[in-house]
Amino acid sequence: METLANLAIGFSAALTPINLMWGFIGCLLGTAIGVLPGIGPALTVALLLPITAKVDPTGALIMFAGIYYGAQFGGSTTSILLNTPGESSSMVTALEGNLMARNGRAGPALATAAIGSFVAGTIATVLLTLFAPLVATLALKFGPAEYFAILVLSFTTVSAVLGASMLRGFASLGIGLTIGLIGLDSTSGIARYTLGVPELVDGIEVVLVAVGLFAVGEALYSLLYQKEETAGRHRLTALWMTRSDWKRSIPAWLRGTLIGFPFGSIPAGGAEIPTFLSYSTERKLSKYPQEFAASKGEGAIEGVAGPEAANNASATGSLVPLLTLGIPTSATAAILLAAFQNYNLQPGPLLFQTSGELVWTLVASLYIGNVILLVLNLPLVGLWVKLLQIPRPYLNAGILVFATIGVYGMRHSSFDLLLMLAIGWGGVLMRRFDFPVAPVIVGMLLGPMAEKQLRNALSISQGDWLVFVTQPIAASVLALTLLVLLVPHLLHARGIKLHEDD
Amino acid sequence: MPAQLAIGVGLMVISAVLAVGALRFPAEMGFVILGAHVYPYAVAVFLGVVGVLLSYQALTGGFRELADHTDETAKALPGGKSGAAWVTAGLVGVALLINLIGFVLAASLLFACSARGFGSRRPVRDLAIGIALTLPIYWLFNAGLGVSLPPLVNAWI
Repeated sequence: METLANLAIGFSAALTPINLMWGFIGCLLGTAIGVLPGIGPALTVALLLPITAKVDPTGALIMFAGIYYGAQFGGSTTSILLNTPGESSSMVTALEGNLMARNGRAGPALATAAIGSFVAGTIATVLLTLFAPLVATLALKFGPAEYFAILVLSFTTVSAVLGASMLRGFASLGIGLTIGLIGLDSTSGIARYTLGVPELVDGIEVVLVAVGLFAVGEALYSLLYQKEETAGRHRLTALWMTRSDWKRSIPAWLRGTLIGFPFGSIPAGGAEIPTFLSYSTERKLSKYPQEFAASKGEGAIEGVAGPEAANNASATGSLVPLLTLGIPTSATAAILLAAFQNYNLQPGPLLFQTSGELVWTLVASLYIGNVILLVLNLPLVGLWVKLLQIPRPYLNAGILVFATIGVYGMRHSSFDLLLMLAIGWGGVLMRRFDFPVAPVIVGMLLGPMAEKQLRNALSISQGDWLVFVTQPIAASVLALTLLVLLVPHLLHARGIKLHEDD
Repeated sequence: MPAQLAIGVGLMVISAVLAVGALRFPAEMGFVILGAHVYPYAVAVFLGVVGVLLSYQALTGGFRELADHTDETAKALPGGKSGAAWVTAGLVGVALLINLIGFVLAASLLFACSARGFGSRRPVRDLAIGIALTLPIYWLFNAGLGVSLPPLVNAWI
């Protein structure tokens, strides 16, 4: 009941005209960047972080959440009409939805993706409302040893499960941990690895690395190695779904949600696993297996409905560890954490007590955001498609200009801009040799947290390392970490290859 | 696989830099259970092991499970290198010039250089579009968001 009362307070704060406006802007921006190739939610939120200096936390966080959600909605539009997934978690949608579009069923594919995202997003937000306070209460009992174990689990999963090779995932993680080492050590006050450069004493900002890898790296890589896509665009058809479309979509949406939410809320590295799982589930359960891409069919609507729902549900699910434990499980969540920190807010169990109103307003804005997106998405789909007509030179030049603003705006340093360029070239190298990028971001953010918790845990135990084995929660989380290392083998054995999401 | 080997060796070098650097941290005062150097050592060992394993893979047939798009023999696209050079030049330019000629001009220059890198052949038009884009941004960030970008021309004028 207390939850309901809190949520009511949240709604009354979220429904003020000014906060509604931020939600609206966020959803619009999010959908646009979801549609556009080469720019994702992590980058967009990173570029907009400077507004945290001026806008109040509630408004800014509502907008960022809208961007996060909107990008999932927008990504499906590009996949269905163009067969180039705007976000890599919409790869399955690109497979099945594009096939439907090629056979004159673009409208129903878009409709099932959008309505499915709405249904999944709303159910997942209900689950978030119910579970997040419970997890937060539980997390209040966690000490440094437990936190350390959970952090180790998070970066192990992000690097081991994403990408084709666990070893390359670990290489990316190592780079991220190394970047995280640079700067003042918060416990001892010693400046580490600054190489005598004064700019490095404060450490390297996560935004700088994200913008370097995602915006600059992506632009350079696409110039050097990516052929321009000349794939024809499919014509829009009426969005109307037939009775049989509905009958086949609804169970797929529900199953997708149930698969997506738990995967999002554990640190399992993004939306790929649940979307692939949902796709293979739908293929097994469908009464029309001959329509799926694998059997050279015309495109099965379940194959769009399920994965799209799973995708959205997992995006919501990833807010659970972010809000209750302060642990981001994807690059976008990592940037959202940075946004909280800009306001001196530390996500974690205490956030529900110290900034309860903010949290519940954010949760309420998720319900509202889903409605806004449903309303924006379907009627405006023609407009979104037009976005794809921006000439490639101007789109990329614009992204680079925004990257410059985002990085320079932080502390007006030319050094930062050059560092961004260098990291961009590093990103080209990583992409060229198939190293996943997200572990770098997660590693640089979680590494210092892990070190701090490790030291605190050992201070409490007076230097006894056995504390990680004797405390039941910490020990079982570390045991789970070992199990996670086996997951990629299982996936490979079943022929599933994952690619990362930004 | 020389490039792949270079990556593996590069990680080993970073690992060595971390380890040597940790040796040179100043001594800490007071009672310390886990010093500032311990965790960096752990990261160094981790990176070192990953570097050795990647080098081993590079020497024995190359990295495993590479995605299709990462065929090492594939050359850069025609025009790719000069395009990347234009973008790089634009970014270096903006870094060096932004404090001299201000945000609007420096960013418009970056816009034109990047557009050129991506295949546009109309520098004057690109520069004009750049200015049309950056002027409102400049105004929005300075007036609306309180992020002060360097002015159109340097403050000393």
